[in-house]
Amino acid sequence: MKLTRSIYLTAHNAASRLCAQRTLISTLAVVAFLAVWELAPRTGAVDATFTSQPRRVMAAGWDIVTSGGFLNDVSVSLAEFAIGFGLAIAIGVPVGLVLGRFPLLRNILDPPIMAIYATPHLALLPIIVVWLGIGMQSKIAVAFVGGVIPILVNTTAGVRGLERSWIVAARSFCASSWDVFVKVILPGSLPSMTLGIRLGLSRAVLGVVVGEMYQSQAGLGNKVMRYGSEFRTDYLLFYVLLISVFGLAATTAVRVFEEKLWTAGK
Amino acid sequence: MDGWKMKPVVLGIASFAVMLLAWESAVRLGWVNPFFVSQPSAVAATLSRTAKSGELEHNLAVSLGEFAVGYGLSVFVGILAGALAARFRTIEYALDPFLWFLYSAPLIAFYPIFVIWFGLGVPTVIALTFLLSFPQIAASTLNAFQNVNPGLIRAARAFGATESDLLWKVALPASVPMVIAGLRLGIGRALMGVVVGELFGSTAGLGYSISYYGGLLKTTDLIASLAVIVVLGVLCTQGLSALEARFDSWRVND
Repeated sequence: MKLTRSIYLTAHNAASRLCAQRTLISTLAVVAFLAVWELAPRTGAVDATFTSQPRRVMAAGWDIVTSGGFLNDVSVSLAEFAIGFGLAIAIGVPVGLVLGRFPLLRNILDPPIMAIYATPHLALLPIIVVWLGIGMQSKIAVAFVGGVIPILVNTTAGVRGLERSWIVAARSFCASSWDVFVKVILPGSLPSMTLGIRLGLSRAVLGVVVGEMYQSQAGLGNKVMRYGSEFRTDYLLFYVLLISVFGLAATTAVRVFEEKLWTAGK
Repeated sequence: MDGWKMKPVVLGIASFAVMLLAWESAVRLGWVNPFFVSQPSAVAATLSRTAKSGELEHNLAVSLGEFAVGYGLSVFVGILAGALAARFRTIEYALDPFLWFLYSAPLIAFYPIFVIWFGLGVPTVIALTFLLSFPQIAASTLNAFQNVNPGLIRAARAFGATESDLLWKVALPASVPMVIAGLRLGIGRALMGVVVGELFGSTAGLGYSISYYGGLLKTTDLIASLAVIVVLGVLCTQGLSALEARFDSWRVND
């Protein structure tokens, strides 16, 4: 008893030491990068107009956040993302479930879906702008197209990957098809559904930002484009950083949810 | 058996045919305006016209060249970085935050800076292509090497394998399928880099012509270029899927 406990403790200590080491090295690497970035323009090795500096990016960030109009851009981009991605979930999940259940339909629709999946969804931007204009609708559409395909494909895969015997077992205990759907298929395919949602999320974020960069009147991508063409690198980098942090945070949130699901399943 | 295998293929071709037919007849019957959606026959005519005039060939050559260089670079650097990170923990930890940033950042936003650094056109597109696909390949390679069955390594060690034996005879063959899966995912991102790079910062190529004809509201030419990109995407992805299946065929499911 005592021996197992001490082995356990040793392993535990080793693991936490490894974790601490990881944090330390990662932090050091980032700090080193920031230091080089800050100091390189001072030595005159690179031109700060093109690379900016961490200090300047922070100053630009303060300037952007405190000046008016920032919240408007954020809310426009967020709204486009929320509507587009919400629609992607609302349509991708049910269609994916149906395709997973009906092989004939799947065989018919699979080739076009795969063709769209293999195509970079941002290539659709120009035609979507022709169809829907330069307002919010076109960004919503691009976010939707980017998000819906991975959600749909992974939901279908989740339903197909279900253990046949579960459905048979449920049936043999007199479960109606509705019961089978709600109590077996839905929870069983949830993990790969969330995987699809996570994959679709970053594509949707990219869709909104690049859509705004391409043609728009407001939003974060619009500002990226504006400051980019004015070569105000510090402002540009702040917006890029903000968008990255948003994408990272949202993806991490879905990932945490996903891991909870997996542990709940076991 | 053959009949079962053929069925999805036949259904797939049929569904494409029905879609094209519906599209063409919807336009012919006047239900939708060809100004917005064009029509398959016009797109086909445009494709053959641009193929004859050499425009298609030129755009294709530019895009494929950018893709080949950018993707080739990211395969080389990505596998190297992933393998080094798998071997040396310090490198893994140091690389980790940057890979995460590159993976989630909208890198396309950096294109004005790239244009200043490299100039408008091919080099900028190559840089974007590289930056978009590299993190995916590095992360998959790292993952692949880390997931090599430790039992295999212990067994090889017990039979006196050296470090280089371990790399060439155990770690590499065992991780090849996952590395190739990473390459496949990387292709999608690389194509995205080519198209979006050309959309914004280029003067030639398929992405450029999509954007160019979009600006002129010439839907037919736009859709023709888009169709070529779709075909390219499908070919690349299918090609690597086939490669993946080939390298994975020896594996016994456990």
